[in-house]
Amino acid sequence: MLARMALLILAAVALCSGAAAQSPMKVFRIGLVHVGAPGSCILAPGFADAFARRGYVEGKNVIFERFAAQGRLEQLPEAVDRMVSDKVDLFVACGYPAALTAAQRAPGIPVLVMNAGDPVETGMVDSLAHPGGHVTGVSEVASDLSAKRLQLLKEAVPSVHTVALLWNQNDLAMSMRVAAAQAEAKKLGIVTQLLGVRAPNDFADAFGEMDRHPPDAILLVADSLTVINHQAVFDYATAHHLPDMEELDFLAHIGGLMAYSLDQDEVFDRLAALSDRILHGAKPADLPIELPTRFHFSINLKTAHNLGLTIPEAIQLRADEVIE
Amino acid sequence: MKGDVSPLRFARPHRSLFQKYFLVLFVAVVVPLIINGASDAWFGYRDQRANLSSRLRAEANSAAGQIQAFLDGIRAQMDWTVQLPWTEGLDERHQFDALRLLRQAPAITEVTLVDGKGIERLHVSRTDPDVAMSGVDHSTDPAVIGARAAHVWFGPLTLHRGSEPFMTIAVAGARPSAGVTIAEINLKLIWDVISAIHIGQTGGAFVLDGGGRLVAHPDISLVLRGADNTAISPLRALQKAAAAQENEIVNGFNARGRSVLAAAAPIPGPAWTAFVEQPTAEAYGPIRAALWRTGLLLIAGAAFAFALAYLLALRMAGPIRQLEEGAARIGAGRFDHQIDLRTGDELEGLASRFNAMAGELAVSQERAERIGRLKRFLAPQIAELVENVGQENLLESHRTEVSVVFCDLRGFTAFASEVGPEEVMGLLGDYYDALGSIIMRYEATLTCFMGDGLMLLLNAPLPCPDPATRAVRMALDMQSAVQALILRWRERGYVIGFGVGIATGTATVGRIGYEGRIDYTAIGSVVNLASRICSAATDGQVLIDPETAAAAATTIGVEGLGTQPMKGFAQSVPIFAVKFATGRLMA
Repeated sequence: MLARMALLILAAVALCSGAAAQSPMKVFRIGLVHVGAPGSCILAPGFADAFARRGYVEGKNVIFERFAAQGRLEQLPEAVDRMVSDKVDLFVACGYPAALTAAQRAPGIPVLVMNAGDPVETGMVDSLAHPGGHVTGVSEVASDLSAKRLQLLKEAVPSVHTVALLWNQNDLAMSMRVAAAQAEAKKLGIVTQLLGVRAPNDFADAFGEMDRHPPDAILLVADSLTVINHQAVFDYATAHHLPDMEELDFLAHIGGLMAYSLDQDEVFDRLAALSDRILHGAKPADLPIELPTRFHFSINLKTAHNLGLTIPEAIQLRADEVIE
Repeated sequence: MKGDVSPLRFARPHRSLFQKYFLVLFVAVVVPLIINGASDAWFGYRDQRANLSSRLRAEANSAAGQIQAFLDGIRAQMDWTVQLPWTEGLDERHQFDALRLLRQAPAITEVTLVDGKGIERLHVSRTDPDVAMSGVDHSTDPAVIGARAAHVWFGPLTLHRGSEPFMTIAVAGARPSAGVTIAEINLKLIWDVISAIHIGQTGGAFVLDGGGRLVAHPDISLVLRGADNTAISPLRALQKAAAAQENEIVNGFNARGRSVLAAAAPIPGPAWTAFVEQPTAEAYGPIRAALWRTGLLLIAGAAFAFALAYLLALRMAGPIRQLEEGAARIGAGRFDHQIDLRTGDELEGLASRFNAMAGELAVSQERAERIGRLKRFLAPQIAELVENVGQENLLESHRTEVSVVFCDLRGFTAFASEVGPEEVMGLLGDYYDALGSIIMRYEATLTCFMGDGLMLLLNAPLPCPDPATRAVRMALDMQSAVQALILRWRERGYVIGFGVGIATGTATVGRIGYEGRIDYTAIGSVVNLASRICSAATDGQVLIDPETAAAAATTIGVEGLGTQPMKGFAQSVPIFAVKFATGRLMA
């Protein structure tokens, strides 16, 4: 009887002190697929920093597999397939073609998207509130921002009447953005000149078209193709004294006149937050697509000076960043 | 009494003393422990609950205050835009005010400035083109009417594209001519406030509007799920429970389905309610730790009590069991058994009593056996006397004056050969029954039976006064008793008589026999004489020798029958017959 009692007591004590065995730290693998150049968008250091703020230290508990298509979109499927076979836990895609490729070729793996237009309009998710599939992320309000950009351009350079839109015709998201911009432009009394390109060589044709019908300004609709070839556009704009409006703030830093863009850090932060939720078991279908809330207006006065323009005080007041 | 009586032959009690002692001692320690632990736990719980209630309510008020401060901050910025009265056209100052408002209040996504008449002068947006002097009439807009009435107006929660939460705030100037400023607020930015509120380790805050829609939650995805949001139904249940019992904390579940304690506080401006929640497990963490401590102490206490009770019960029950075994052995006749107890208490006393009792029992048994032996030839009371007085030397061989009585039946041998053994033994039984009581009464010593004959001694081994007279009286009683029997026997046709002979003289008395069979007897010519006289007696006669006659004659009538030759005696012996009380001789 004594022995049995002692055993019972021992068992109780063992249960009480039952140490919860800690599982070894899991190392997550995240595939980063970008349509553009290495070091830009989600391949920029700021993206990894956003993860680091949430405790994901690269090489320690997270491994990023990076792919930059540099505009060669035909390489995307192979890159996505390789990451699938590497058993990534999650995809983060920048740019609509990358998002679409990941969404189609990795049906069982969550995909977070950015700079991929409006996922509801492109049909990648059911609705913002209930994405319903394996895709979620941060939507653009870029379709709406096109009109805002044209308005800001016209406010900065009131003489603007005709604006040339340069965009990648192969990119559905970009085409949709251009269509929205075209409609908004009419309301602002601006005439749009549509210059679709599909390959680097097409830029020469676009410039030829502008030679024949000179516009008053250029709106560069940012995607991998146009961003990679931005220098040619800047050179043409400088040569012809054309003011330009950009969609990414870094383009204003490197010679563009103005940029009205999403706050990229905010988008990175949201992507890191959503990744964190997914890696902890949340279903992408239950995580609503988020809209950006902060926007960034940059003006490069050096470029203005080069172009011989004077930017009104009122518009300078609106700028979040004035580069001198 | 002898024979190996095993202690197991007694039925073992159903519950042993050990179990009883053990149970009582154990319970005596454990029950107070349990009562103490339970009361500790109960009062601890009550204190903790009261403590939690005041803490969570304070947290809820603080959270409501922070949300209110967030909205008040926006409103304070908007106040600047309704300082100046409107003039004709769009003045630059109002334009700057609107742009500054966008810069300073990141939550505002668009601003509409309306003049004193309710006409829109300017619309500035972060995402849409600005519009100046649109001339749209806002005078019937509830925002304008509400702001004019109460200076500030908070619109209902709206969901942009079914997901992003927005709210309109309208502020009117002190002067009606300053107009009204209407701002769209992106409520996602409350996240910065709400996510910074931590209750304990894992608790947090959230905000519901009057219709139970989620305004703010640390999990922004939950807010963005829009109107069709089943995940927040537990939060609505908390809202209902909180509304039902004001100022009290409520139990419920959070959006993740964890059991939580929650407290609510109103946010008066937009008529929202701020909630703070803390997981129940965490909230009661301290009391749980205390419970664990109490539980462990209880287990340790119980183990201690167990050991203590076990040892004590063993110490108490062990000696008693030893006593029981000892008693059983003594009971089984092993009087030499000694119970060896050295407890130093009453039990040791009891054990020595047992040992003493066993010794006395041994003595007593030995005595009983001796008396049993004595009783075979002594009358019981004499045997007791001899034994009690311890005068065993009385039984030692010596010469003394004795009266020897012989008696036997006449015609018994002939009778015995004619009837069956049962009849013979039955008759002898009646005969000895009649004689036995008389022999005992006269304390005569029976030396031997010989079928129907008896030899009795008086004055040996225990001396008695006037043994000869005593012998004669006894003989008379015997005669009358047997004669009564003889009358009955005659009725049955048996011809049996009874004669007694008595002689008094010196004889050697003592024990004779061998181990296991010792008799007491007298040896001497007086014995032979008594035997011979008995043989000479006819039925109904008591014959005595001269010595006896000389002694008894003073009180009892005797009659000389002359001398008779006796076998073994050289000369004839004078014989006397005893006269019966009636004076006649037995014929």
